[in-house]
Amino acid sequence: MKHPFQIVLTNKASTILFASVKNHLQVFRIADGEVIGSWIDTVDIFTPLKKQQEDKIKALKAASENKDSASDSNDGSAEKKLKNNDSKPIKIPKIPVPGPGAPPIYNYIRSLALSKDEKHLVGTTDSDKAAIIFEIDLENSENCLKLIKRQVFPKRPCAVSIDESKLIVADKFGDVYTIDIDSEEPVEEKTLSPILGHVSMLSDVLVASYNDKKFILTGDRDEHIRVSNYPKAYVIKNWLFGHHEFVSDLHIPEFDPSLLISGGGDDYLCLWKWYEDKLLGKIELRELIEPFLTEAHFPPERFLTPESPKEISVSKILTYASKSKKKYILVLVENTKSLLTFELNDDYTVTHKQSFSTEYPLIDITLNENDGTIVASLDHETTDNLLAFYIFNENDELAILEDKIDLVKTITTANQCDVERRDEFYPLYYINTLRKRSEH
Amino acid sequence: MPKPHQVQVVKDKETQLREQRDAESKRKAYREVKEETRKKHKSVTFEASPTPEEPVSDKISLPRKRYYRQRAHSNPFSDHRLEYPRSPDDMNWEKLFPKFYDEESNSMTSSVEIADIGCGYGGLLTKLAPEFPEKLILGMEIRVQVTQYVEDRIIALRNKHENDEVNFQNISVLRGNAMKFLPNFFRKGQLSKMFFCFPDPHFKQRKHKARIITNTLLSEYAYVLREGGVVYTITDVEDLHKWMVKHLEEHPLFERLDEEWEKQDKCANIMYNSTEEGQKVTRNKGSKWIACYRRLPTPEDCV
Repeated sequence: MKHPFQIVLTNKASTILFASVKNHLQVFRIADGEVIGSWIDTVDIFTPLKKQQEDKIKALKAASENKDSASDSNDGSAEKKLKNNDSKPIKIPKIPVPGPGAPPIYNYIRSLALSKDEKHLVGTTDSDKAAIIFEIDLENSENCLKLIKRQVFPKRPCAVSIDESKLIVADKFGDVYTIDIDSEEPVEEKTLSPILGHVSMLSDVLVASYNDKKFILTGDRDEHIRVSNYPKAYVIKNWLFGHHEFVSDLHIPEFDPSLLISGGGDDYLCLWKWYEDKLLGKIELRELIEPFLTEAHFPPERFLTPESPKEISVSKILTYASKSKKKYILVLVENTKSLLTFELNDDYTVTHKQSFSTEYPLIDITLNENDGTIVASLDHETTDNLLAFYIFNENDELAILEDKIDLVKTITTANQCDVERRDEFYPLYYINTLRKRSEH
Repeated sequence: MPKPHQVQVVKDKETQLREQRDAESKRKAYREVKEETRKKHKSVTFEASPTPEEPVSDKISLPRKRYYRQRAHSNPFSDHRLEYPRSPDDMNWEKLFPKFYDEESNSMTSSVEIADIGCGYGGLLTKLAPEFPEKLILGMEIRVQVTQYVEDRIIALRNKHENDEVNFQNISVLRGNAMKFLPNFFRKGQLSKMFFCFPDPHFKQRKHKARIITNTLLSEYAYVLREGGVVYTITDVEDLHKWMVKHLEEHPLFERLDEEWEKQDKCANIMYNSTEEGQKVTRNKGSKWIACYRRLPTPEDCV
């Protein structure tokens, strides 16, 4: 059995598919499924711990040497110095081992994004809390991916975004950093300074423009969406208040950059004129998604009560302007066999268009805004069928793209992560874990 | 309080435990009685409530601090079960400041302009009350029992001074996590003064983000403060003072006010002398460090 793809991403021309599984990153040519690039993250969770230990030893050595030279200059007794050295050997600090019950750390790639010019691919790793920057060279027939920078951060990055030559990283601690997209040496982690911060885990970050002026939008686990000036992110413009639960995805449509669609743990999406601080409306999901919710959508057992509803967590919001000049919002709710589409009318009202059923639960989707094709990664125990291709057809309805069986088979077979059983899967659904369940 | 019996009696474990339990239940019972009073007089909820407040006349005693003790630290990152308004529009200030609510126009006649973040036992609030009779002053405190103490204290003060010129109707308190939810309470530029008195020092390096003054949080304080508004800080921990100065100094929206200014400013003087923590430090002959900063105008290229 193959491990499902955790992230899928296509380029604008829909010719290349980037896909990640665990610590593997693969690039496929969509025409024939050929692997044109790959990268495996060999830094495991112990690498940073080992480095930490080395640093500690170095610091201890330096400290003891200092002490020696200090005592040296004090009384100048060589005898005493020797004694000092003998009596206090440097203790080698232990590499900390997570105790029982500690949450597991996965060695996987948590996010992926493409730069506008598609010359760079960026991502984040969980193992060493790093941002990874690749140069994409399609001329290179061996491997189109070249890692040019690996910047380690103090806390685990949760979301990335790109603004021209800058990579923007939002972390679990609520801070946002920017680093240059280039092949320069990464900077020392301690010298990094955040450009803005929430006191809450960040779940998404975007750079948006209004009248040629840039802003940075951040969403967090405490239902906040914040709009800050950019690059002067210390000047906050406003907050967008509308969510009651965590925010997990922020989306600005290409066809109308003044709009923002946000979703998370609520039963609805919010539609905003983000610059005007105006909530245009809420898009209700509950009734539409209810038929697709399963037992898995109940809260974890210790929080489960007879009244507990099944919980909705939005994992992806996308938009599409069709050839017939109609505008659509596409929503993926975590761990469902469905895609919901809505038509966005000119007066910013929204009409439900379609509840599209899929054969397997979808893990991630990527949409080509030019031709309306969708690549989805499937939660399926299989050796040859991990992807599905859909399209907005001539009636602007989602339909299965036929004749992709061979392509899917080629790509799935090339996926190098074989597993014996389902329990070896890395967590495919984690967005609902953002939900706050405070007991005190 | 001296113990009634000075005779040393060796108590067995069971007796000790029982006594502890008794003491705890006494504290609890005291707080329950106070809670009843509090509920009657003022209940802080953020949902509109149609029930009008009952007029009260019975005498209310000032609360005693010993029944409300709580450990000094609280984790600002944890998901405490907090009540907070969805947005400043949803905040029912009339619950906190009923005398500043105009029934005819169904609106407040004044809005909160001064905030004491981490107000502790409320010493600063009660001293500021007579200084700014027309301004609303709000204390925010994350510890439940300490907040209840301040609530009970304000209820008692309002009751006691019902017919006085200084009637403490302009001060109030609520439990909240200012580090997470400040913008839920206050609009952009709503405040003219923010106080940070003797904040938790969070000595450990890895806890520094839990400090109330950080580069990133200062941006939020700058958001709720109007241009020219003032951030007041005071601490008895020199290291923390240096930290706060460093971060305020680095922040492009704040500018330090000099010693001359501190000397002539009545709030700086009150802050130096009147908070419970401040008085404790004076009693122990410790040092106190003050730093005050003015909110600078928003840069022209920003909104």
